[in-house]
Amino acid sequence: MPESGTSARFARRALLRAAVFETQDQELWADRPATAATVATGVLAEVRGDEIAVYSERGTEFFGVSPATVTWLGARASPSALRPGDPVIVRHLKVGAAAPARKHAERIWARAGRVTGTIVAADGLEFLVDTGRDDRSPQRVVIPSASSRQIQVRFPRLAPGYLLDVIGTRHGDHLLAVAPATAQPPYHAGHSPGPPLVGGPVPMPISGSAVWHEPDDEPPGLLGLAYPAIDPEGGAQPADGGTGCVRLPYLSLGATVRIRNECTERAAVLPVTGDGTMAREFCDRCVECGTSPKGRVADLTMAAFVELGGNLEDGCFNATLRTMAS
Amino acid sequence: MLAVMREVQVPLLAALLFGGCAAKARHAIGARHSSGPTAMVPLRLRRPATLALCATEFALGAALLLTAGRVGAGNPASAARAAAALLFGTAAAALHELRARRPDAGCGCFGELSRTPVSWRVIARATLLCVAALSTIGVPPLRMPDSAMQAWLTLAAVAAELVVLVALSPEIGQALLRLSHADPCELREVPVWRTLSALHASASWRRYQQFLVTTAPTDVWREGCWRFVVFPGVLASRPVDMVFAVHLAGRGTPVRVGALDSGASFAPPLEMPRHDPLEMSNRV
Repeated sequence: MPESGTSARFARRALLRAAVFETQDQELWADRPATAATVATGVLAEVRGDEIAVYSERGTEFFGVSPATVTWLGARASPSALRPGDPVIVRHLKVGAAAPARKHAERIWARAGRVTGTIVAADGLEFLVDTGRDDRSPQRVVIPSASSRQIQVRFPRLAPGYLLDVIGTRHGDHLLAVAPATAQPPYHAGHSPGPPLVGGPVPMPISGSAVWHEPDDEPPGLLGLAYPAIDPEGGAQPADGGTGCVRLPYLSLGATVRIRNECTERAAVLPVTGDGTMAREFCDRCVECGTSPKGRVADLTMAAFVELGGNLEDGCFNATLRTMAS
Repeated sequence: MLAVMREVQVPLLAALLFGGCAAKARHAIGARHSSGPTAMVPLRLRRPATLALCATEFALGAALLLTAGRVGAGNPASAARAAAALLFGTAAAALHELRARRPDAGCGCFGELSRTPVSWRVIARATLLCVAALSTIGVPPLRMPDSAMQAWLTLAAVAAELVVLVALSPEIGQALLRLSHADPCELREVPVWRTLSALHASASWRRYQQFLVTTAPTDVWREGCWRFVVFPGVLASRPVDMVFAVHLAGRGTPVRVGALDSGASFAPPLEMPRHDPLEMSNRV
């Protein structure tokens, strides 16, 4: 997906589909964000009293900070706690026509990371976790003693074979986990309950939980989502064990879906950029605003999650998803 | 009647062992996880353990059948039947242990169909099969029924035992549910070859095939109930992409066709000019 050739091929699919069905897909593609409108992803270049500078794919960007700016560095922190070189993601207020050069940071996340996967090895409070990456290389997670109680309340079985989903800060090759992203499923990895049998067409929109993942091979600012029901014949990873506990129509990489954050009432049309292997494993609910139905309907890129109004430390938002499939 | 009951156990046990083996093999090969007593062994050993169990069942089923007649009568037959009894006895004990340690786990006896938590019915079934296998030790070589009455008695014994086994098998309910249910087309796994086969059998294909440069698709993708297949073609001396949309409901379903100039395109999404799409979409 990151390659422009692949991206262009996926974009052309909308035109080809429109040639058959005369739909508005082309307009939908034109409407979807080229880059995030209110999110900047990059590396912190400089921290001044009332301003930070961020190196991003758009060059150096400056964001004003104020006492109202919320900064997260494993916990709420002051902007002065940030250090040049920290990877950051900034949600800023939209640029007004009156002051196009000046953006104001609403929230800043520094070193934010998340590991979602199956524990494959445990040594005290250090773990190797299989996150379903293509190269199968596990990720290292360290739970500091200060956070262990909070995490173990919601993840009581920190043993190989069980699922882990924690949020924390990145330090070199490992994640320092500071909070659980959800509650641990009682079943082993691969044993998520099957979805209910559906007699007729899948009702749209589909409600559930939307979560986020760190960019792996994806560009940091990519707007997209890993979808839990990738067509097993689509040339992507085989759909391993169905579609999780939500009935979702099969789609190929490059298909578009409309996803809406029910908590902030923001929506966007986003491309499917990956296989939501881990989203299939969890049969949890999001309780950010009310209680969502069970199951994860989308695993968004960090930029898309923040763009839709989600806060990374919360781990999820209540979402509805609508596919373009007829 | 008791002698007839003892005689029918051998083919019944062999059939059950073959059925269990086939279901386990299908499940172990097709899925990442395993269920049943193998859920108690370390994660990396579960699939090998399931496959080993499957191989044991196959070997025992074959041994029971091969020693059922005059060939293999005597000690080989007794050994095969005792081994089957040992397997079912061990299974009953393992299921009892599984029920205590992993009350959420299914027995895995018949693969994917055995996902409901282990109940007393399943343990009773394994115990019954153990007793059935023990009862066959010493049974003389099987032969065809001597009379019509004998044949009816044999059939009645088989039917009676099947009724008991069905009553003790939660898998029957699952199997009936699956047989009576069909996923809607957007949830169904459909291989690409079947889509291409449906396309090649369609009137649209026969009509537009002449415009294609090659019959090898350049792109195939799926959106819910539709799979799209793209071929390079020439229409009115212009290079085009011919796209066929094949509905996945089954054979004889509609196939739609469209054509797009090969050059027609727009900038890929990551290179498009920026505007404020979220604001637009918020109105929806």
